[in-house]
Amino acid sequence: MADQLYLENIDEFVTDQNKIVTYKWLSYTLGVHVNQAKQMLYEYVEKKRKENSGAQLHVTYLVSGSLIQNGYSCHKVAVVREDKLEAVKSKLAVTASIHVYSIQKAMLKDSGPLFNTDYDILKSNLQNCSKFSAIQCAAAVPRAPAESSSSKQLEQLNLEASSEAQASNEPTTNGHGPPAAKQVSQHPKGIMGMFASKAAAKTQDTNKETKTEAKEVTNASSAGSKAPGKGNLMSNFFGKAAMKKLKVNLDSEQAVKEEKRVEQPPVPVTEPKLAAPTSLKKAGRKAEPMKMQQREKKSNRGKRIELSDDETKETEHVKKKRRRIKLPESESSEDEVFPDSPGAYEAESPSPPPPVSPPPEPVPKIEPEPPPIKSSSGEHKRKRKRVLKSKTFVDDEGCMVTEKVYESESCTDSEEEMKPKTPSVHRPSAMAVKKEPKEERKGPKKGTAALGKANRQVSITGFFQRK
Amino acid sequence: MFSDQAAQKAHTLLSPPSVNNATFARVPVTTYTNSSQPFRLGERSFNRQYAHIYATRLIQMRPFLVHRAQQHWGSAIGVKKLCELQPGERCCVVGTLFKAMPLQPSILREISEEHSLLPQPPRSKYIHPDDELVLEDELQRIKLNGTINVSLLVTGTVLAVLGSVGDDGRFLVEDHCLADLAPQEPVPSLDMDRFVLLVSGLGLGGGGGESLLSTQLLVDVVTGQLGDEGEQCSAAHVSRVILAGNLLSPSTQNRDSINKAKYLTKKAQAASVEAVKMLDEVLLQLSASVPVDVMPGEFDPTNYTLPQQPLHPCMFPLATAYSTLQLVTNPYQATIDGVRFLGTSGQNVSDIFRYSSMEDHLEILEWTLRVRHISPTAPDTLGCYPFYKTDPFIFVECPHVYFCGNTPSFGSKTIHGPEDQTVLLVAVPDFSATQTACLVNLRSLACQPISFSGFGAEDDDLGGLGLGN
Repeated sequence: MADQLYLENIDEFVTDQNKIVTYKWLSYTLGVHVNQAKQMLYEYVEKKRKENSGAQLHVTYLVSGSLIQNGYSCHKVAVVREDKLEAVKSKLAVTASIHVYSIQKAMLKDSGPLFNTDYDILKSNLQNCSKFSAIQCAAAVPRAPAESSSSKQLEQLNLEASSEAQASNEPTTNGHGPPAAKQVSQHPKGIMGMFASKAAAKTQDTNKETKTEAKEVTNASSAGSKAPGKGNLMSNFFGKAAMKKLKVNLDSEQAVKEEKRVEQPPVPVTEPKLAAPTSLKKAGRKAEPMKMQQREKKSNRGKRIELSDDETKETEHVKKKRRRIKLPESESSEDEVFPDSPGAYEAESPSPPPPVSPPPEPVPKIEPEPPPIKSSSGEHKRKRKRVLKSKTFVDDEGCMVTEKVYESESCTDSEEEMKPKTPSVHRPSAMAVKKEPKEERKGPKKGTAALGKANRQVSITGFFQRK
Repeated sequence: MFSDQAAQKAHTLLSPPSVNNATFARVPVTTYTNSSQPFRLGERSFNRQYAHIYATRLIQMRPFLVHRAQQHWGSAIGVKKLCELQPGERCCVVGTLFKAMPLQPSILREISEEHSLLPQPPRSKYIHPDDELVLEDELQRIKLNGTINVSLLVTGTVLAVLGSVGDDGRFLVEDHCLADLAPQEPVPSLDMDRFVLLVSGLGLGGGGGESLLSTQLLVDVVTGQLGDEGEQCSAAHVSRVILAGNLLSPSTQNRDSINKAKYLTKKAQAASVEAVKMLDEVLLQLSASVPVDVMPGEFDPTNYTLPQQPLHPCMFPLATAYSTLQLVTNPYQATIDGVRFLGTSGQNVSDIFRYSSMEDHLEILEWTLRVRHISPTAPDTLGCYPFYKTDPFIFVECPHVYFCGNTPSFGSKTIHGPEDQTVLLVAVPDFSATQTACLVNLRSLACQPISFSGFGAEDDDLGGLGLGN
């Protein structure tokens, strides 16, 4: 009989396996409503006691009710041992509920093990912790990953738009408040309007500029027909020389991107940051201008302003603006994320947020991406050579750090340098783990990976070769 | 009250399993608006001096005080500025108080070599019988004598004093008045009981086993796992949970790691990492069932100066999947179902406690309401952002529920203002020490403490239950 089955189960758990069976544990294990689990436990206790009065069963109860204390009517919720149950009940003015909390064979000295049992079963059921609960909340719906990341991006868009607005206009608030949301709504319209009309982007304000560039980079939802339009816009930024290459790259990029991203246009300002991880993961081929963008962003982090020929003054200006915006954010995210960055890379893939990492994702992550993109791409028209060089610099904390980094030298003599903020000095062993993805993240990781390799001497002569 | 409502249904759980188990739907959010916008900082610049915040505070408060002064002492009394004072003339002056305290820790005195002082050990109160009050307005300052309670008042309070200048150049005070409560919107009437749970000082990562079980019991009650049907039904009426600061324990701060050598701390993980993971799990359980507002506190990983900015969502990867989780500022202001809430994580009240003779946190809370300023001691002894346009800590509107977190014990009082304002004051106790939280009934605007306990090795009857005060 199904009725007897649970009794047997409980019997097995308590006597044979010597477990502490709490109502929550039983509820998750048998997949029943919490109240039913409590009733099952009670039934079991009653039955066992009737059958065998010398049963070695210790039961704890949950008592709750109100009590007058210090002039307040305090609601008490307590887990008590069976022997104290009556005493506690008598102290309460109004008893709201009593039910079995747990059954176990051994006598418990304190309630610590109860907590541990509950905690363990909860850990394994975190995603549906409210499934068997007596209260269901209609508002508590887990957000879809795309939705959550876009909402975060929207937030960041607000913040960035606010700082940009403040930079360009007189601060209208106390000098510290985020701006109204109306700016945000204007931007999406501006982006779509831009692509629809194929208007020259130069005359638009810097806000729209960044978004155009971002759009070029990601091309989330725009159809292929927009490519020519985009090409026109981009040419305004990057000069005719790169136009043709751009178009080719763009189209291929689009095809790759469209199927993967379900991002909406209104959140492109943060795209530049996301673009790198995206394309890296798809092993996308990036267009030159995007490369330049990534590079400029990375250079920003490294506090170097490297411009190539193709970049116009506008992008420079935009980049400066972006740098200012990004710094406060990156500062905040940096501290939290850096100690975690080795582990975070691996955690990235299984984490719920979409493969396109959400904005809170640390900016440093972008650093690794761009150089590998360059190296893996076969379509770059610019000749790049990767040269292992030794770089000595003084980092933030005043320590001198020497790193061996692969630098890409191109004919336009702009240097690409990987400068992870947490240099190899901090995490050589952790970096050793990164050997596998090393292929993809050769560039920025080279500094750290090189050090990892230095620790691991392959042969006795390895010492001499590594000059 | 929560208990009474909970006890209304019959006890069903000490019985064989029934086929149908009731499931209650959480009361839906009817109206909620977050009005903490003044406390949100965008681009922050610390290039300004703090004089501006005092200037703007005085400018904003002056009209309120002039109005109150005229109410108290009649319109015949002239309100003068300090520079217009004539000796012997009885008049009223509005200005900011400064309390000169010899025991106040001063970094300049500490590092000054001529005094060669050792750093002062931290004390619980820095008041001293030799403290002096000085009234400052836009241009001048004057020392105060007379019938004014020096030990009670703190620096940064804006008030109006009535008296005259004596021959010694000091102002002889006859009477003083505060700005008193701000105007208040009427409370809407609700048709059914709705509760808001206020908790503060969860203190995760502190290693206290007792407090962990109590935290789990709290979460279980709110999410409807614990208790009989009556209690679960009442718990379904909890429409919101506000965590008022100090979610992490002070022991997670690792202050001493700054002094240790770098090579020792290089690979050590901060204690707050584990604590934040635990917090994430707690928040996940809560936000899967009820809207939660999380305010940062003194020991939480956010900025130090008031107003503290919300915790970053990247720390809570599991919980932020739910839109019911809201990370908010400290201080926090919101309108929940038409009832205006305003509260802090307790730094303002504990700072006033240190520099004033007031002993009861609830009394201090009331006093800040009467002074019409959330934390008058900022920026003098409490870190604050250098505002210059407006002082966002001035009460523009009087809330219906005013709370502060992390007090040593639970306290709740209803006070009345001169224009028939009614405010429920709640001193939310530190959960890690008292295992007590507060349930505010939005319909009756009353507060009931709710406490949790397990059982320990000691054998006394209500040893675990007798906590709270």
